Amino acid sequence: MAAAVQRLRTNVLATPTASLVNLVGILLVVVALLATVQRVYQGGATYFFETVGFGLAEGAIFALVALGYTMVYGIIELINFAHGDVFTLGAFFSAALMGTFGLDEGKSSGAEIILPLLGLFLVTMLFCALVNITIERVAYRPLRNAPRLAPLITAIGMSSLLEGVMFLWKGPFNLHYPNLLPSQQIPLGGDVTISAKAVFVIVAAVILMIALTLFINRSKLGKAMRATAQDRDAAQLMGININRTIAATFFIGAALAGAGGIIYGLYYNSYAAFDGFQYGLYAFTAAVFGGIGNIPGAAIGGFVIGLVFAISDGYFVAAWTIPLVFGILIFVLVFRPTGLLGMRVPEK
Amino acid sequence: MVRSRGLVALVVATFVAFACGSSGGGSSSKGEIDIGSDLPTSGADASSGLPTQYGAAFAIEQQGTLKGFTLKFTPFDDAVNGKHDPTKGAQNVTQMLSNNKLLGMVGPFNSGVAAAEIPVANQAPLAMISPSNTNECLTIAFDYCQKYAGYTPSSLRPTGKNNYFRVAANDTFQGPAMADFAFDTLSLKTIAVWDDQEPFGKGVADNFAKEFTKKGGKVVARQGFDTTSKPDFHAWLNQAKAAGAQGIYAGATSASYGCIPRQESQGILPADSYYLGPDGIGDGQCITDSGSMANDHMYASQGVADANSNPSAAATIAKYKAEHPNASDTAAYTFAGYDCAAILIDAIGRAIDANGGNMPTRQQVVDQMAKTTNFKGLTGTYTLNAAGDPTSPALQIQQYKSNAWTTIKNIAVTVS
Repeated sequence: MAAAVQRLRTNVLATPTASLVNLVGILLVVVALLATVQRVYQGGATYFFETVGFGLAEGAIFALVALGYTMVYGIIELINFAHGDVFTLGAFFSAALMGTFGLDEGKSSGAEIILPLLGLFLVTMLFCALVNITIERVAYRPLRNAPRLAPLITAIGMSSLLEGVMFLWKGPFNLHYPNLLPSQQIPLGGDVTISAKAVFVIVAAVILMIALTLFINRSKLGKAMRATAQDRDAAQLMGININRTIAATFFIGAALAGAGGIIYGLYYNSYAAFDGFQYGLYAFTAAVFGGIGNIPGAAIGGFVIGLVFAISDGYFVAAWTIPLVFGILIFVLVFRPTGLLGMRVPEK
Repeated sequence: MVRSRGLVALVVATFVAFACGSSGGGSSSKGEIDIGSDLPTSGADASSGLPTQYGAAFAIEQQGTLKGFTLKFTPFDDAVNGKHDPTKGAQNVTQMLSNNKLLGMVGPFNSGVAAAEIPVANQAPLAMISPSNTNECLTIAFDYCQKYAGYTPSSLRPTGKNNYFRVAANDTFQGPAMADFAFDTLSLKTIAVWDDQEPFGKGVADNFAKEFTKKGGKVVARQGFDTTSKPDFHAWLNQAKAAGAQGIYAGATSASYGCIPRQESQGILPADSYYLGPDGIGDGQCITDSGSMANDHMYASQGVADANSNPSAAATIAKYKAEHPNASDTAAYTFAGYDCAAILIDAIGRAIDANGGNMPTRQQVVDQMAKTTNFKGLTGTYTLNAAGDPTSPALQIQQYKSNAWTTIKNIAVTVS
């Protein structure tokens, strides 16, 4: 821990920027922090912790989507614009399957929904994963050695295609996602409460992130993915099947996005064909924020952006929330161009 | 489905027109007069746009012929990708202008679209009459108009003469009407107000807040949300709770996520907290979005009176409902759409007389529109003033109960 802090400190200090710019930056941070602290102090502890709870729940979903962006970028340096729409597809597909799994808004939200819900998660994740590897096979793999702009455009095309399919399927309307989770508040000590829904979102996202980390760090395929991300040619020379490894990356990223889609639906109880694009944009921002290609970075970036949203909406001017999020992004990138935890992209 | 039904109605209308023409004997049709409409009839706004178009179409179909001319209805859709679009609206008006038999139009539905269309129509000049535009700056020059709406009545009318009319009560009435209702009838003292950062939503929310504060109520957690994408309202709803809000006023429409906060407030605010808003949330989409929080503590104002409370409208309404049996074919502005078309037909009729029984010019139709006095429509009796506003507009407050938006109060106001 101490070593990590030391490393971070050296990194920050080693960033070569003009001292005046540094000074202005530090001043801005101090002013922003002071303003926040003052507001938070006025608002009281209960309100603060509740706001943080909402921020973490919102951020958890950003983080889940961000993971897929960061994994794909880390391995083939492609911004998979269709990723946000695969996420929406998760919400659409799971909503359509609710009945098949015997899940229904009217029924009890007790323990008996746990098993069908798990089944729904598995099937939806598998479906989104298959869609995403199909997209990779059709629109990205043939262009792997083409100029970088080409797959970027096919990615935007795929995004529009998926949005179009969902538009034709259910129309442009906001749709109601079945409200399955219990609606009560869980006391956290003092007057602070957090909704059961928010707890579900945060816990589910964290479990998925831990599973992903274990997979990447412990499994053979995870090792192959890390090797491919580091140096594709060298990995190939070592006998790693590059196509299979990249497909696996798309598979896992989309499975997380599909799970994110269900979690999104269950938390907000509303979904629409075009939700994914903007959501993908925030998630991509989270990935860049944390350091593109960096898996813990994407998770942290997601949570940070969720917190900024909640604190800005809860304490400051909601109309300025989105400019603020992107303002912070610009700020962080100016001072740390590689993101909070540093980027991890293929070596050249 | 819906489209084909519209087509059938048109075909039927044409037949009826022919039948009338020949039975009139002697005087064969002098030609055709077109009446256009511009409403969002696809996508998220269609739930209110289509029923309004049906109303206008029905009025024209009922009339059939006018002083020897055959009336034809030419509807346009201003929705792009499922949302009303000012640029598309302006294009539609340009297309209407290229048809020299088209003498007037019903619409548009949204104030933002009107701001783009009025300058185009004004050059012709084409008579416009909207069932539902409520932005006050379209007709009245308040000093804040340029700053917050981005236009004034004169900046929208390059020729300096008015060609735009409406039957709806403007936002200076809709916001305050709900504020009075919330304070006096519901006895609410503290309300959290948000808006969607669009001209309509922000205007109506500001006017609500102004009146509610004047009455002695307290407006808390006043916020605007960027609704170009779906916002997360949880943190703000918690702010509203912390500030002691008994209810929410949404300066928004269903297309700008007007009722999403209602569902998200589950667990934060009690189910019997109030949810209030303008006409933009008084539709079925709002109820879908409210999910398990949809209940009888939701109220919406509407910028026209309820035609059902007018006994002399009953026969026409029954006829309409026989032709359009689905519940979703009738919405808050259906009969306002009917009245708009009827006022336009009336004015065209007088313009024909003024032109010696010949095809009138567009200018003559505009002139006659401005002379509309005590026109007995389904939703009220209309006299249009020089600015284009009705002199005694009416509003209604609707409550969501027994699975429908139900009128519980009609409010009449008088414009000096």
